[in-house]
Amino acid sequence: MNTAHEPEWFEIRLQQHLDQRWASWFDGMTIEPQADGSTLLRGHVADQAALHGLLARLRDLGLPLVSVAAVPVPPPQAIKKGNQP
Amino acid sequence: MDTALLATKLLRPRLRPDVVPRTRLAEVLDRATQSPVTLVSAPAGFGKTTVVETWLRGIHRPVAWVSLDGSDRDLSRFLPYALTALEQVVPGSMSAALTLATSSREPVETVLTGVVNELSVYDGELTLALDDYHLADSPDVARAMTFLVDHLPPQLHLVLTTRADPALPLSRLRARGELAEIRAADLRFDTDEVAAYLNDLHDLGLPAHAVSALETRTEGWVAALQLAMLSLRERGDVSQFIDRFTGDDRFVVDYLADEVLGRQPDDVRRFLLDTSVLERLSAPLCEALIGEPGRAHTMLERLDRENLFLVRLDEHRRWYRYHHLFADVLRAHLHRERPSDVAELHRRASRWFAESGAVEDAVRHALAAGDSAQAADLVERALPDLQRTRREDVIRRWADALPGEVLGNRPVLALGLVGGLMASNDLAGVEDRLRQVEQMLARPEAELVVVDPAERRSVPARVELYRAGLAVAAGDSAAAISSAGRAIATAPPGDDLTVASASGLAGLAFWATGDILAAHESYVVCARGLEPAGYLTDVLGCSLTIADMELALGRLLDADRTLRGALDLARRHSGSGPTLRGTADMLVALSRTAWHRGDLPAAARLLREAEGLGESAGLPQNPYRWRVAMARLRAAERDWRAALELLDDAERVYVGDFAPPVHPIHATRARVLATSGDVAGARAWAREHGIGTSDELSYLHEYEHVTLARVLLAEHHATGAGRSLHEAAALLDRLLVAARAGARGGALIELEALRALAHHAAGAEKLALDALGHAVDLAEPQGWVRLFLDSGPGMGELLGALASRRSDPSFVQHLLARRAGDLLPARAATESVAALPDPLSDRELDVLRLLGSDLAGPAIARELFVSLNTVRTHTRHIYTKLGVTNRRAAVSRAHQLGLLTRGAGR
Repeated sequence: MNTAHEPEWFEIRLQQHLDQRWASWFDGMTIEPQADGSTLLRGHVADQAALHGLLARLRDLGLPLVSVAAVPVPPPQAIKKGNQP
Repeated sequence: MDTALLATKLLRPRLRPDVVPRTRLAEVLDRATQSPVTLVSAPAGFGKTTVVETWLRGIHRPVAWVSLDGSDRDLSRFLPYALTALEQVVPGSMSAALTLATSSREPVETVLTGVVNELSVYDGELTLALDDYHLADSPDVARAMTFLVDHLPPQLHLVLTTRADPALPLSRLRARGELAEIRAADLRFDTDEVAAYLNDLHDLGLPAHAVSALETRTEGWVAALQLAMLSLRERGDVSQFIDRFTGDDRFVVDYLADEVLGRQPDDVRRFLLDTSVLERLSAPLCEALIGEPGRAHTMLERLDRENLFLVRLDEHRRWYRYHHLFADVLRAHLHRERPSDVAELHRRASRWFAESGAVEDAVRHALAAGDSAQAADLVERALPDLQRTRREDVIRRWADALPGEVLGNRPVLALGLVGGLMASNDLAGVEDRLRQVEQMLARPEAELVVVDPAERRSVPARVELYRAGLAVAAGDSAAAISSAGRAIATAPPGDDLTVASASGLAGLAFWATGDILAAHESYVVCARGLEPAGYLTDVLGCSLTIADMELALGRLLDADRTLRGALDLARRHSGSGPTLRGTADMLVALSRTAWHRGDLPAAARLLREAEGLGESAGLPQNPYRWRVAMARLRAAERDWRAALELLDDAERVYVGDFAPPVHPIHATRARVLATSGDVAGARAWAREHGIGTSDELSYLHEYEHVTLARVLLAEHHATGAGRSLHEAAALLDRLLVAARAGARGGALIELEALRALAHHAAGAEKLALDALGHAVDLAEPQGWVRLFLDSGPGMGELLGALASRRSDPSFVQHLLARRAGDLLPARAATESVAALPDPLSDRELDVLRLLGSDLAGPAIARELFVSLNTVRTHTRHIYTKLGVTNRRAAVSRAHQLGLLTRGAGR
């Protein structure tokens, strides 16, 4: 496991489709609707505290969570999308 | 604490009229009614609060309600809210716990033990409901709650609503069958309930298939149903809406909120988005945000009427908030549609809060607006006030929230945050911060940002002040004294508080080294500075210490004067308002000087008066000091059993403070044992506490060593052992040298009197009379009497011999007369029991005696072989008859009336 303060990339899968406007609400994470009706939230998370903060936001919205995964290498398309406003 | 905010947090939620009866939940709620702990755990918008409030209203049990928020993660905020809520339900029950929780550094377990013991004898049941517990679930709060759950008295039911399972021992509670759980699956609306909500309550007249479609799509999520209802309310195309909705796989709340928002007229929509940045809303505040005078009030009324997710926070419809879920959706819309407006809206909110004096909110919005400079300004301006009102917890939080870069050129602010850290005992990193402040001071003045130049002038002195505080905490007296000295020397004229605080720290350090003269001088300066700065309770606390030192120095008259002056100050400032905290402590301390003068009736009167003022008039240490003072009176009456019981009771309610414990209760207890003839018990005390005749002597343990000498003399008297006498004499000689070197006149009188007894016992009559003559010389001008009355066998004979040797024997004759009078039974401290119109029954006396112990209600019941209910009933009767509202007050009242020992003697 990575140390608690090392920044990481994460993929968070949600059960439903989430509108793009939530991107700014989730601190610049990209929102990618998946064909199976789920949503992939991808992005750079500063540390464990930031990750827990993000999960708490999802919890407070009542967004059903499917999985959370640390991804080793930032997927190229995520970086590209991350730069979009 | 902000009392207005307190009131809204402790207000039970107002139920909207449109509540669907949840008959499906009846069974689980019945179980919850009996269960010690109920957990209502589900995501936002599942109607947790509504279900709990409806249920609690139905069972007619008193409810202490707290709506928690993020700042309650701090135990120093959480605990007072919870205790105040309980106090409102059972008045008087939490006064001791509240005093401890708000003004001492006692571990939370001590505070909660008092709470548990108090409620465990309460005659009735009650519920503590903690709403939105997930917001407060920090390690500190969890530790406190775990302790409470593990020691929960049967009277108290705990109900937690939360979005995440709390860090409590849930599996243990489940295994013991002590947990009722209501989870999302229970809270979900089933098809019948969806129909009842949409068709019965809101007259939508939906066909069965539409109801079932909505139920499936929302999964019975109440918040979503409510949004669907708002959307459906005024539209004709119901079937089209349902079709589109069921076919869409978007996040249901997002979809529905979009629908609701989309149906609002532009002005309403704009208002909702503008005000979504707020955590609470009022008409004037909203007006400041939207910039249109007069419109906010109508708008809020309209939203309230149309049930647009507005929650009332008070009875007067002044403050509202949006439902959490809806607010999140609104904010997401605002961020997406008008990202450039967000900062300005926060800025306006910050300005409004700043103007209305709500600095915490103003700072939060300034930070949200990205205006760290503005936030820094606000904090810097607010510091002096927050320090005065002891809101260091707020300052402590800002120390983390303010970005480091705004502190880099703001010495006053950076130092103010250090003060918050120190008051919260968060000392790591303080020295680094102090060094940073000093580096700032080395820079040109023009590079620094300072709001109030007067505060800037105090910075160098306050850096040294905090260094002195660090040194005291580390036990380094020499460093503390030199830092405090530099602080006093560099403090600008008029900065009373810095001088007072530094003097107080220096006094503490001097005291610890045994230099009482220097300590006394420092404390006097401290008290003199605290008064104009408005810290009156601290002036009283300081006066106690000053009087203590004056007694040690032999200045009984000065001690009396100091305490009377402080009492006058307290009375002047209390006026017709509530009694200033610390007033009772002055009376208790005055009873000690009266006791030293030999005026037992006055001492008894003062203790009665102190007790009559109630717990809130005393510092946290007062309950134990009162018991020690009462024990001295009982011992003077030769009621050893009562004295010992009081001292045991004092140990139980003991609370420490900053001052070194120079008169430990256990030593006072040993004195009572020795005087009463229990030499073996007194000897055991010395062994247990490792106090020996060859110890190195210091002022801090002087009282214990003098006690040991008394024990040895008593032992010699009882057994005739020459060794005891020899050891006592040698110890007394060494103590005398030490006391003389420290100019401790009070100790000198006592030591000379004891030496006289030792010489007398050894047959050295001339040496005995010399020593006693010296003691009397020192005692007479100040009126010390008690020391000659308590001292053991031989004192009467010696005083008689001394009287014939003195040119003016009047004082010695007075002492002789008092000794003779004391042999007669006198109960100065006991009120006539006839003062009780309705005397206690024998059984009530049994319960009362156990109320003075550590035992909780069920243990008392076991002890007396009765049911807990019987104990509760007895307790209620005891409280009524004694005219008190809590356990501690009942026990002190009983001591005063002499009820406890009389019962024990049966």
